[in-house]
Amino acid sequence: MADKEATVYIVDMGRSMGEKRNARKESDLDWAMTYVWEKITSTVATDRKTAQLGAIGLRTDRTENELDSEDSFQNISVLQEIKQVLLPGLKDLWQKVKVSDTADGDAISAIVIAIQMITKHCKKLKYKRKIILVTDGRGSMDADDMSQITEKIKSDDIELVIIGVDFDDPDYGFKEEDKDPQKAVNEATFRALVEDCEGIFGTMQQAIEELGTPRLKTTRPVPSYKGQLTLGDPEQFDSALCIDVERYPRVVVRKPLAASQYVQRSDLSNDHVSTQSSATMMPDADGADSGPIQSDGNSLTSVRNARTYQVLDEEAPGGKRDVSRDDLAKGYEYGRTAVHISESDLNVTKLETQPGLEIVGFIPWSTFERYMTLSVSCIVIAQKTNSKAIMALSSLIHALFELESYAVARLVTKADREPLITLLAPSIEVDYECLLDVQLPFAEDVRSYRFPPLDRVITVSGKEIREHRNLPNDTLSAAMSDYVDRMDLSDLGKDDEGNPAEYMNMTDTFSPVLHRMDQAVRWRAVHPTEPVPPPYDILTRYSNPPKELVAGSKKRLEKLIAAADVKKVPPKVQSRKRNRNEIKPLSGLDVGALLGNNKSKKTRITRENPIPEFRQALDTTESEDAVRDAVKQLSTIIEAQIKDSFGDIAYGKAVEELDLMRNEMIDMEEPGLYNEFIKILKGKLLGEELGGDRREMWYEIRKNKLGLIEKKSSDKSNVDEDEAKAFLSSRS
Amino acid sequence: MAEENKWKPPGDEEDEEEEVDEATYKSAKDAVLFVIEVSPSMLTAPPPTDAKKQERDTPTLAAVKCAYALMQQRIISNPNDMMGVLLYGTEETKFQDEEDARGGLGYPNCYLLTDLDIPAAGDVKALKDLVEDDEESKKLLVPSTEPVSMANVLFCANQIFTTKAPNFTSRRLFIVTDNDDPHAKDKALKSSAAVRAKDLYDLGVIIELFPISKPDHAFDRSRFYDDIIYNASPTDPEAPAPVSGGVAPSLTSDGISLLTSLLSSINSKAVAKRALFSSIPFEIGPGFRISVKGYIIFKRQEPKRSCYVWLEGEKPQIATGVTTQMADDTARTVEKLEIKKAYKFGGEQITFTPEEVSSLRHFGDPGIRIIGFKPLSMLPIWANIRHSTFIYPSEDDYVGSTRVFSALQQKLLKDQKIGIAWFVARKNATPVIAAVLPGAEKLDENGAQIIPPGMWLTPLPFADDIRQNPETNLIRAPEGLIDRMREVVQQLQLPKAMYDPRKYPNPALQWHYRILQAMALEEDLPEKPEDKTVPKYKQIDKRAGPYVIDWGHELHKEYEEWRKDNETTTSVPAKRPAPSGKDDIPDRSKKAKTATPDDGPTDAQMQHAYMKQEHKKMTVSQLKAWLHGKSISVSGKKADLLERVEEFLEQK
Repeated sequence: MADKEATVYIVDMGRSMGEKRNARKESDLDWAMTYVWEKITSTVATDRKTAQLGAIGLRTDRTENELDSEDSFQNISVLQEIKQVLLPGLKDLWQKVKVSDTADGDAISAIVIAIQMITKHCKKLKYKRKIILVTDGRGSMDADDMSQITEKIKSDDIELVIIGVDFDDPDYGFKEEDKDPQKAVNEATFRALVEDCEGIFGTMQQAIEELGTPRLKTTRPVPSYKGQLTLGDPEQFDSALCIDVERYPRVVVRKPLAASQYVQRSDLSNDHVSTQSSATMMPDADGADSGPIQSDGNSLTSVRNARTYQVLDEEAPGGKRDVSRDDLAKGYEYGRTAVHISESDLNVTKLETQPGLEIVGFIPWSTFERYMTLSVSCIVIAQKTNSKAIMALSSLIHALFELESYAVARLVTKADREPLITLLAPSIEVDYECLLDVQLPFAEDVRSYRFPPLDRVITVSGKEIREHRNLPNDTLSAAMSDYVDRMDLSDLGKDDEGNPAEYMNMTDTFSPVLHRMDQAVRWRAVHPTEPVPPPYDILTRYSNPPKELVAGSKKRLEKLIAAADVKKVPPKVQSRKRNRNEIKPLSGLDVGALLGNNKSKKTRITRENPIPEFRQALDTTESEDAVRDAVKQLSTIIEAQIKDSFGDIAYGKAVEELDLMRNEMIDMEEPGLYNEFIKILKGKLLGEELGGDRREMWYEIRKNKLGLIEKKSSDKSNVDEDEAKAFLSSRS
Repeated sequence: MAEENKWKPPGDEEDEEEEVDEATYKSAKDAVLFVIEVSPSMLTAPPPTDAKKQERDTPTLAAVKCAYALMQQRIISNPNDMMGVLLYGTEETKFQDEEDARGGLGYPNCYLLTDLDIPAAGDVKALKDLVEDDEESKKLLVPSTEPVSMANVLFCANQIFTTKAPNFTSRRLFIVTDNDDPHAKDKALKSSAAVRAKDLYDLGVIIELFPISKPDHAFDRSRFYDDIIYNASPTDPEAPAPVSGGVAPSLTSDGISLLTSLLSSINSKAVAKRALFSSIPFEIGPGFRISVKGYIIFKRQEPKRSCYVWLEGEKPQIATGVTTQMADDTARTVEKLEIKKAYKFGGEQITFTPEEVSSLRHFGDPGIRIIGFKPLSMLPIWANIRHSTFIYPSEDDYVGSTRVFSALQQKLLKDQKIGIAWFVARKNATPVIAAVLPGAEKLDENGAQIIPPGMWLTPLPFADDIRQNPETNLIRAPEGLIDRMREVVQQLQLPKAMYDPRKYPNPALQWHYRILQAMALEEDLPEKPEDKTVPKYKQIDKRAGPYVIDWGHELHKEYEEWRKDNETTTSVPAKRPAPSGKDDIPDRSKKAKTATPDDGPTDAQMQHAYMKQEHKKMTVSQLKAWLHGKSISVSGKKADLLERVEEFLEQK
């Protein structure tokens, strides 16, 4: 579990914050709030009860705080007591952050109130305490009792962060020209305070820039296996080697936020919706204008999946009938046979295993193919408190390293779990040693797909040739080699000291969808009506080669392109007309001639063999009449098949034939013929003219996207996208 | 809209784009029909050879055995795919169920042993009986006296595919025969066979020929089968031949039995090649693209999940689940269009329109874009999140793709380099950063391909996915101990010094289906599973045993020394607590088992922890154990204990 956190934000809302400075398009307050909202929404998004926060407005019109009787605490308002903030609280806070009409209010006093809030809330409990002050430093402050404050902050272990609008920061490289003398004094005071408290002092520019680097979540390591690493069987042989080890994850894929499905509640009218929403507002919200920030969160209801079960029954209408879940037993499929297993025997198909990490043997690095690994990786270390085991494992790690070998091991993490084969690789760093572990495939996990070699060509006649248009010639190989060498990323990056280092190390890359969705959800929570801003630069930075590299290798790429002589296949010639007539078996026999093709004769299409015969009919004709006739024949067959179909038995055939007809008509540039037929067919299906209820067949047509051919697919079509869509979705 | 949804368990409504994609990939179904000739020569066993245990199956029986093996295998690996077995040249004639119109009369001397379907236990049993029961096979495998028309056989196959496997993306006909010229004397029959073969081609059926050579005559494809079989790229006479498996099985092949060689060539075609993505652009440099296809070659095979069985009928039936989505408040059925995507945030739902979600998730069109190249050594072994995708060039969109791909693959292989790529597999797929690894072709002893040549896309973890190492102490093993361990490692290399997955069937998966098969066929349950992943203990003891014992002695010695060094620095030797009982087992040299931990931390650990301020993380019992060893009071709360520990360490 992560530590409990209590953070208090102090936001300067004074009149001066309403100005737009330094050529920015937004007011200082809005600009500063991008930082604050990012911070707060990230905390809200964690959904952690222990991540609590409070907020104080500085230089507010009103005064609302515990010490408000005293002069020095005027124009400071507590906007939010420390607690876990949820969406309503967040919206409420959003309402309250507004530029005020005053210049009064002492930032140091606000810090004192923040300290008080924290002390009151956290008492002596273990908390990570933090105060974040955001200000333009243009207010007046009384800095006399600073030493006392510093002492309190230090003794309570509070982290103080002050981020200033246009504060000077030589480290970052920002300096405000013509700085207001009062602001300069304040900046100096803040800087001194932060330095004394060992906190963080920074300029807003940098803070906002750093928001673009996503924060990493740390997770407490949880062992996935605790037991022994063995070589040999300690039960049988005294010579067996055993080391107490623990296994922890090294790579775990963090998934993007998952969406749930919702629909509009049906019991609420629109009027209801808005009342419902604003009812969640805090009572003291100046609720007059709650429109823009209202989400329809409460007007939604979740979608539930209801499962019913069906079995085939020749007598039931549609060939299927519903059965009750209570009449069903558990089982497995063996092929299409149902094997039923009684409740007490459920584990009978489970292999009994004992936990263990057993070395099967060793292999050299050189024979291992990196692409065989199947899983995320883990690390194996010796039992943490067992010095002897640590030393023992260390000897294995070093021995593997020196011999440039891996161990192959059988892993069972818990009793009766399925065994896995893993590769154990030694890892030695300056201050860390471990075995890395990744899973390897079993025999069943390998599909033997065969592909022609890439360095030679074997022809149909069995000849092996080395010069072929599918093989690179020397010029192309050389150009490729030069290009690859120039596009090297191994020292294009910079390390912390600015020395050349690997570009695009994995630790510099961030999951685009994960952070994009995270950003969008947090943005939408506080800006319900505004479009989501573009993704952070870091998320797209690595989607293209670095500019300087591209510029530097331009010449070599041009050479490569010339040597490669690659030609894009124009979309048109992919159509049937180019290929069809040339199709011949390996011997080159002209089967068309055997078929006795005669261009004038119309081919008959039979119900037994419709697909080949339809294809062959189209192959042998150029005339529009013959095409029309072939389509008509196939249409008749499809309708008859559906009409005679027992249940859905012929639907598959019909779908295949429709698909064929549709594609062929696109290729023949006769979309009208198909569109005409599918319209008629739809009418007949929904009109129950083809042997009763055929809605399932219509559903098959929709599912397989066999609707009207639209303009996008064929120039000759006069059906636009909307019409095609309407045709498929409407039920009339 | 009620939608059939076999794959998702109830209540699994969270969407996971990635997995949905894989499901559609799987749903590309395959139907295989074995067509096996029965003839006098096909029923003649090969001549005996010197090899003693040589199996001497007749070619027909060997082919049926292959079909039987393949059927069992496909039930595990492709549970939704269909398979059938058709014998031709038999005296008997049998087609699909009589009620199915034309009956068997149309196809004389064709015997449909197993109709094309997802295999049922009964189908497995029928093949098993034929294979194992001599009586059974003698009864059925009788060659007809009439010659069989190949045109008829092919049209019979056509009808089986048309009626049983409509709309299948892959339909394949496996012909096993030793007759390379069935219609040598009848030109008309030969022509009509060619015509029926064209029909099959137009139906999208691929014919795979498994020819068997006779002792006195090598099978000659050009006599008949070259008129029957079509090439993938017909326009190009120079085109690479379809890859065939190793040597053609022959009755004379010495050493390897007919069955083994036939099995191996059939196995290589067992799975229909299914592209994960077809022809996506592979951008090697800005503006320079070729096209590639992607395939999944390595992927964990899981047993099919459990299902519900309806027992009230005549025979048990699998109940198919139908999911209806309904609103939680009123239980009314909802349409897909109504459904909104919402994300939990601050206890409430933040909604987006489907268009917004897809535009937010959109990071560019499908494709593989090279960002640059790195040496292979920069890719650590742990940088892995799932299986790799195999890519191979395709000329579909860019003519010349193959030669460019080949040039790149060879360059990367030669210099041990990898590409780094931005990879979007499909429309709206989550983008990943992947390593592009070159892979060389690998052949087995017989020259058959095991690993195809090409490149592999290995998706890499992002910074978000990399976990921190758990904290632990570092005690580096001394040289002497490493030397001993090296000797151990050197004794136990795997055969051929490599990991060959084909040698290790998944024991849990095999067991699962062994049991199911036994239950389905109502046989006795097998008792002991065969598990090839269990290490060979005897061999390990024999080969490495003495070295392990040496290592154990060395470890004991070195550890004692280390302990002395690390403890004298922190405490007065005279007062050092006696080593705990466990460490005193006198006979530990025999069993090279390492010590279980002492009750408390060692002085070194405590000192180390204190330096890093981690002693506060220790448990009360650890602290007490340590304090006890120093004869210091162990009363009070944790804070008190910590104070005493700190006091003690600071005094020195």
